[in-house]
Amino acid sequence: MRRLKTRPFPYYVGLHSLEELVTREHRVCVMNILGSESRKVTPVSHEYSGGNIVAGVQYGRRGVLETKIGDIPVYRSIREVMEKGITFDMGVVYIPPLGVCKAVSELVTHNEALKRIVIVTEKVPARDSRNIRALCQEAGVDVIGANCLGMANAWDRVRIGGSLGGDHPAETLVKGSIAIHSNSGNFTTTMAEYLRTAGFGISTAVSSGKDVYIHFALPEFLYAAQNDPRTKAVVIYVEPGGYYEKTALDWIKDRTFGFTKPIIACVTGRWKKNITRACGHAGALSGSGDDAEAKERWFDEYFGVDVFDPKTCNVSKRGVRVSSIQYIPDAVRAVYEKIDEKPDFATTGDLSLKLWLSDTMMKLPEGLTLPLVRAQSPYDQQIVEVNKQVGAHYLRQGMADKSGASRMNRETQVSELHGMSVLDLSRYTLEENLYFSLAKVMPEKADIPTLNLILNLFMKIDERRMELIDVARANGCTPNAYLASQIALVGDKDLLAKSRGHARFIIDLIREFGLDELTKVFPPELDDFVVKHLLGSEPSRKTDVSDLLFKEVKKSRKSCVALKVCQHIIDLAETRGLEIRDTYEFLLATIAVCVLWNPMLEKRISRQLVEDSVTYFYLMSRIVAYSVVDRANNPLWKKLVDQKLSNLNHSFTENAFKVLFGREPEPAELVEFQALLGLTITNGPGTLSAKGAKESVSARNDISMAFVGFLANTGRAHGGNGYDAIDYLMEQFQGVVLPDPGNPDHGVDLKKMATKAAKAYGSYKRQMREVEEGAVKPVPCVNHPVFRGNQINVDPREQFVAGVLKEKGVYNAFWEFYHLLVHALYEEGVTKNVFCVNVDAVLAVITLKLVWKDLQAGRITLRQVQDLAFTLFLFGRSVGVAAEIADHRDRGLDMDCRTPESDLTFVL
Amino acid sequence: MQLSGLRYGSKLLQLVEFPVADFIDGSATNQEIQQFLEKHRKLVVKPAFYGGVGKKGKAGLVRIVSTLQEALQAKRELFFAQHTYGNKTVTANGVTMEAFIPSDLEVYFSISSSSEYRGPVFTITPWGGVDIEDLPPEKKAVVEIDPFIGINAFEITNALTDTGCPEAFISALVQHLPKLWDLYDGYGLTTIELNPIRVVRKGNHVRPVACDVKASFDQDNPAWKRIGLPDALFQTETTAFEADINELRTYQGQSDVLEMNPRGSILPFMFGGGANSAGTETLGEAAIFSSDFGGNPPYEKIYEISRIVFEHWYDQADMLLLIGGKANNTDIYVTFKGVFDALRDHVAKAGWKPLYVVIGRGGPNVVKGMFYAKDILDRLRLPYKMFGHDTSMILTLEHARKIDKWWGAEGADAYRKQIETQVRA
Repeated sequence: MRRLKTRPFPYYVGLHSLEELVTREHRVCVMNILGSESRKVTPVSHEYSGGNIVAGVQYGRRGVLETKIGDIPVYRSIREVMEKGITFDMGVVYIPPLGVCKAVSELVTHNEALKRIVIVTEKVPARDSRNIRALCQEAGVDVIGANCLGMANAWDRVRIGGSLGGDHPAETLVKGSIAIHSNSGNFTTTMAEYLRTAGFGISTAVSSGKDVYIHFALPEFLYAAQNDPRTKAVVIYVEPGGYYEKTALDWIKDRTFGFTKPIIACVTGRWKKNITRACGHAGALSGSGDDAEAKERWFDEYFGVDVFDPKTCNVSKRGVRVSSIQYIPDAVRAVYEKIDEKPDFATTGDLSLKLWLSDTMMKLPEGLTLPLVRAQSPYDQQIVEVNKQVGAHYLRQGMADKSGASRMNRETQVSELHGMSVLDLSRYTLEENLYFSLAKVMPEKADIPTLNLILNLFMKIDERRMELIDVARANGCTPNAYLASQIALVGDKDLLAKSRGHARFIIDLIREFGLDELTKVFPPELDDFVVKHLLGSEPSRKTDVSDLLFKEVKKSRKSCVALKVCQHIIDLAETRGLEIRDTYEFLLATIAVCVLWNPMLEKRISRQLVEDSVTYFYLMSRIVAYSVVDRANNPLWKKLVDQKLSNLNHSFTENAFKVLFGREPEPAELVEFQALLGLTITNGPGTLSAKGAKESVSARNDISMAFVGFLANTGRAHGGNGYDAIDYLMEQFQGVVLPDPGNPDHGVDLKKMATKAAKAYGSYKRQMREVEEGAVKPVPCVNHPVFRGNQINVDPREQFVAGVLKEKGVYNAFWEFYHLLVHALYEEGVTKNVFCVNVDAVLAVITLKLVWKDLQAGRITLRQVQDLAFTLFLFGRSVGVAAEIADHRDRGLDMDCRTPESDLTFVL
Repeated sequence: MQLSGLRYGSKLLQLVEFPVADFIDGSATNQEIQQFLEKHRKLVVKPAFYGGVGKKGKAGLVRIVSTLQEALQAKRELFFAQHTYGNKTVTANGVTMEAFIPSDLEVYFSISSSSEYRGPVFTITPWGGVDIEDLPPEKKAVVEIDPFIGINAFEITNALTDTGCPEAFISALVQHLPKLWDLYDGYGLTTIELNPIRVVRKGNHVRPVACDVKASFDQDNPAWKRIGLPDALFQTETTAFEADINELRTYQGQSDVLEMNPRGSILPFMFGGGANSAGTETLGEAAIFSSDFGGNPPYEKIYEISRIVFEHWYDQADMLLLIGGKANNTDIYVTFKGVFDALRDHVAKAGWKPLYVVIGRGGPNVVKGMFYAKDILDRLRLPYKMFGHDTSMILTLEHARKIDKWWGAEGADAYRKQIETQVRA
């Protein structure tokens, strides 16, 4: 085979000294520059290296990659880069593996000035790797990688290729006298870091990669290190597989090239001889003669001393082998003493066990205990700062049409909130579901009375506000409209803003002073801090409500750190004769933090959500309180909203029922009511209601306005449409004597009614077809695009709720009618098979059942039934929307719901 | 990914029309075996293994039979034969009965990647049928291959001439051997070894016949999938755990695992190839698996990896260990968030158990990541120790190993009691 050769090698090597390998003078072009890894790494390299990246290629795209020191232009191909007159001599390849060989070919073909290529990509096929070798040998181009992190020159502060030294290369890549060659990219940085700690900097570091073929391997590296005046010793990290090291040592021995500098070699991977498949590095799979033991032997023979023992520090002038990288600093020190050289700078520490963080729960036995150690700078400061942070953090991103809260499960076709289906949610109360929508877990039993207390408390309204709603009703507003008008006025009122501030204060206090449930003694500094920032001599506004909360908080025995802190603050205020500023808001915040503390600590929810939680509770309560349909005839509502402290301990669900229906619920009705609310909680982020809320968040509105966004995006077609089914049922049941639709012994022949309805519909259908093809109005809540096609079809969601209610002994005549109807439609030949009764029917039949008696007695009008049906939907959906709003506030970006101009269409 | 033997090796060789010895497999009826015997006089009976298994001859697992009775006896003995090579013991999955081919010459031929030549090479000797390592240098030839040209006929001629091959056989070998490069290059092979190739003379006609094949495939090169080998062939190489994790495999790596000791006590999340090598070596048998989750895996991927890990090993493990050097590119916060979210969710599902957590890591957002872990572990009441990159990775591993031993022996039980008492209180 004929090919280029550069003496003393039987192949091409394009450098004489390591100094030349990577310098500030080199100009770089990065392939796939806008890929996910390069987009992050390249700007750091560019800034560290003084702006040596002159262009990037992103197939099919033009643009720029922004960096702090200027944009890097991005072109569609290497040819285009060359046509622009940009010159470069280094190529960096981030292309996915199967395209790497082609990218190398492109670089070599179009750029005759090319000197080196760094291939960062992992999992390049061996076939492509050998082709790359052949191609580049012929063209006289050095290749570093693949599967590597490139190379760095600490003297010139330049790195090319991957991310050696991480995000802050100057921190680790300190100028010095050691050259590093490592099969592991991570270890290149880690060894540089270890050396820095011990007082040694680096000249040049090369992450060689550890694929089957190492293109820039030890022989040429040692040759170049020998010729590098900056380098006094070489540190290498070697894994099993390949004869590169043997070749290098043989060539030194037979004087193919001269090498006089010491080597500190770490060989690992003895265990790898037992495996038949690569794990980690693809090339670290040895044959019979190139396993770790063989490599250890090659080096030991070369050094003439045994493996490094930190006790004896026996080394030779040629160097020493170490059994693990932790011994590298000691071994280098010993070798430097041997060759009469000094470390590059003073040591900054050692590698001994330094415990940064530890639990306080379990004491380790003697011999295993370690003291907590202050981390090196800047990590010590970070520990102090991050300790204050608590709760989940999310990556901010465009959240239009995305949600981290809800989704439709494609398999079951059932919507889910935080991974729980609406079917399951329909078994829980409104207060439990509201808590769940925020906390992502159901509340602990002990927290439910607290939730009810706070939700019921916020139902206390100024009745004069209802006059506005009266006007809205008189003007024909639908419930969403008049509720929106009220909620919009909430804004971020003092009560909410101050509660948020207090919640923040409580959380800060807990984290700052490292408090937890087991804290028994509060430090005096905490007291001083609280006195300074929270207490004062000015008397705080006191009301019956704040007194009630005060007592509740004081007497509570719940094991919760927030509560403990609050109780301590109350005691402190009393002892010092001081007042807590904005006591009411402080107590509200305490309660909110307390009930949400555990989910926050479990990183289920963000700190922001906990701080905002009083707002969510407040808004939900207000929606319920303002929803009364006929307040003049609803004495229960009056009691709920007046300023007296009654009804506070009742279930919020029960109170919501009272607001809507003006009477105490029967146990069965309460079950139906909560099932109905549960089912409407969410239908995924694509629904208009969720989108309205999300778009409002995207415009950076207050939470109250985001609720307005939700309400504004509901209407007669979304939320109010359940009335169609009620209307249909009322038509069918007109004139029928049905005193109690919940009594199975109602004596009405439902089957006969269903047959009659089916015949009537059949005749309507035929008639309509004769008049106009395809304009047939379907029977509401029958059939479903997914649950169809069988002889007998069932909507599993409807079936599930029916099962739950049946279990509880709840009967519904309208529901039975619906089931009989779908069979009758089939028997009368109107449908091809038995259609399913879909889940929307559940909403209609339950609503109708709940209002039936009042309707029959004339206590409620049809319009009010319509409003009730709509309001029921709004109650349920408010819960799901609260989750969407919180999610979008946590993850989204300003204006992320905006549609780009390019996606818009002008229609004539 | 390897295969050995003619059962599937023949399929490979047929792709390039390389002659292969006739064979029947263990499902042949007595009548078929008898007919096969009548045609070839002698049969070579070998156990059939999935994957690449060598040294069968040395282990006494190859029988030459000449009667039906002997064939059936060999079939009985070898059908489920166990074979230990290296530290691995495998069980046969049937037998192959190959036509015994009398010949004057046995050739060894292989193509492999050479780190000495930094490219592909073929190795050839007319003194085949033995271990190639046992032959003196003058009896074998190693020749570089230009990957853009393949194997030249003259290179085979020269190599055979140099190693003492009788002239009469060279021409036939030159005709067939270069085809193997097409197989090697076109179907994602990293090694192919034919040993022996028996050269058969029939009158004036000389023909090489492959009597055994060993091949390894490059799992990073999808070309091997075109061969249409049955999935089961490579499945035995992976455990259920590995198979689940492999589902997540992409070109970015980030999810390499190798099950080491299913009875081990430590779940080691290793980040980076170096940590993988050093960690696996230091932890020894305590490690349930060896892994490399480095390369900045996104949250969804590391969560999924962790979910699978806990799904398979939470019950078995005493310790969760996260180990790596000072990361260059990997966002520690993102990876820790994935691991500990998955742990939290798994504990919620599977119930609490005393699991000790040790972390040794550096890199971007390391403090934020550690606090993320800390908060969840505090809440889960799981004890932990966290070390930064200013501690030697090996010391962390050794310390973890010591805690693990104490934890397994007494610590975990004591801690369980302590927690139970607290819960009761």
